[in-house]
Amino acid sequence: MDHSKQTQYGSNEKKDSGDTGSVLNGHFDAMVKRSAGGTVRPAAPQPPGAESGAHRPAASVMECWREERTRSVEDNEMSLPSLAAAYTTILRGLGEDPQRQGLLKTPWRAATAMQFFTKGYQEKIIDVLNDAIFDEDHDEMVIVKDIDMFSMCEHHLVPIFGRVHIGYLPNKRVLGLSKLARIVEIYSRRLQVQERLTKQIAVAITEALQPTGVGVVIEATHMCMVMRGVQKMNSKTVTSTMLGVFREDPKTRDEFLTLIRS
Amino acid sequence: MEVHCATETNGNVLMDTMLSSCIEYKHRDSGKEEKDSTEDPDSTKTFCIAKAYSTILSELGENVEREGLLRTPLRAAKAMQFFTKGYQETTQAILKDAIFNENHDEVVLVKDIDLFSLCEHHLVPFIGKAHIAYLPNKKVVGLSKLARIVEIFSRRLQVQERLTKQIATAINEALEPAGVAVVIEAAHMCMVMRGVQKMNAKTVTSVMLGTFQEDPKSREEFLSLTLGKF
Repeated sequence: MDHSKQTQYGSNEKKDSGDTGSVLNGHFDAMVKRSAGGTVRPAAPQPPGAESGAHRPAASVMECWREERTRSVEDNEMSLPSLAAAYTTILRGLGEDPQRQGLLKTPWRAATAMQFFTKGYQEKIIDVLNDAIFDEDHDEMVIVKDIDMFSMCEHHLVPIFGRVHIGYLPNKRVLGLSKLARIVEIYSRRLQVQERLTKQIAVAITEALQPTGVGVVIEATHMCMVMRGVQKMNSKTVTSTMLGVFREDPKTRDEFLTLIRS
Repeated sequence: MEVHCATETNGNVLMDTMLSSCIEYKHRDSGKEEKDSTEDPDSTKTFCIAKAYSTILSELGENVEREGLLRTPLRAAKAMQFFTKGYQETTQAILKDAIFNENHDEVVLVKDIDLFSLCEHHLVPFIGKAHIAYLPNKKVVGLSKLARIVEIFSRRLQVQERLTKQIATAINEALEPAGVAVVIEAAHMCMVMRGVQKMNAKTVTSVMLGTFQEDPKSREEFLSLTLGKF
């Protein structure tokens, strides 16, 4: 199967080879995690996981996917003491007593919680998608809607939560449905900006499947707007990314938007 | 700076070596920052919290130099200070002018007060609504003051049970009414976003004092007024 054929999209979704980090939250390739006594973890090229080459993504996609991972489980364990110490400092700075019973283990719990909220940095799309792309002669819209999404605002480190609706028009290949939700998880469990999150999900599906078109709509509530600042309780932010035929054909886009609303 | 903790259960301020060394660092470092002739203890604390957030960002594997994160430590520190501003406030300060003599002895209910607090175990928000009722005993309070009391106690590191009790106790002590009832229903992000990950779970806690505790009919009236739709 020829994977070098790239579907043309309205916007420039191709990443520059020198700036692949920009789509991926600015992560470095081969980021040095520790300066003192730690190991440098270069991002080694990952061999394609699937036995059959039929579903192996193109090399540029591999390049991009390889760089997603900037944290490992071992990194998490090694970071915990510093994270916990930082949270202890925060508790004292806020005027609380970290020695009182309710707060004794809070620095560790908060550190572990924050690592969970950013576990998207540990995961790679290719691990999630490898086995779940199937040949199917289906060229009608596939929609998975109301996917609960939880993210962290990168500006205030405060939760964002909402729903994601994804639609795509397959081009001979379909994706396991839960994998769409897993893609949402990988990108949402990071420090994010809603606009970037929407685009990353759309681009990941595009690169994995090369479909005729992809549409992603996210509506979310930002706690940074609700709990502080302007304090608008009921405000929702809606962002969308339309690629391929979803962008070019208004009827397709209409159909998608109607179906996610119903 | 003295921090007023309105009840004894939320602990005292301690300056320990970690915080004092952070402050020392700031003084040493102040040549690189704006010169401020009056050293403001609040801004020192903000600086220390921001430094801690900077550490957190880099330990999580992020690039702290990228554009979106450049000022995040400071923003996050200020946000966290806003979320815990209840420590600086007291019920006496906000209630002093708003208690009036009134010959009213029927239920006064203020419901659906939006509430935002921080779980003290995970430092993650919990959000919900508070419903407060009291039976006046010659004294009524300005209605918004009930919401302000909720704000004082909710803008802290909290446990929902304690929060409910603190609100009820504060109203009881300020007004000496015949009865007070407080119900809070909230969604805890620590349960929704992580851990057991139950999206729709809500936690409901209530405290009934005085008549609301002793007389089932008063309690029933309160609950039906709170839950009913008008």
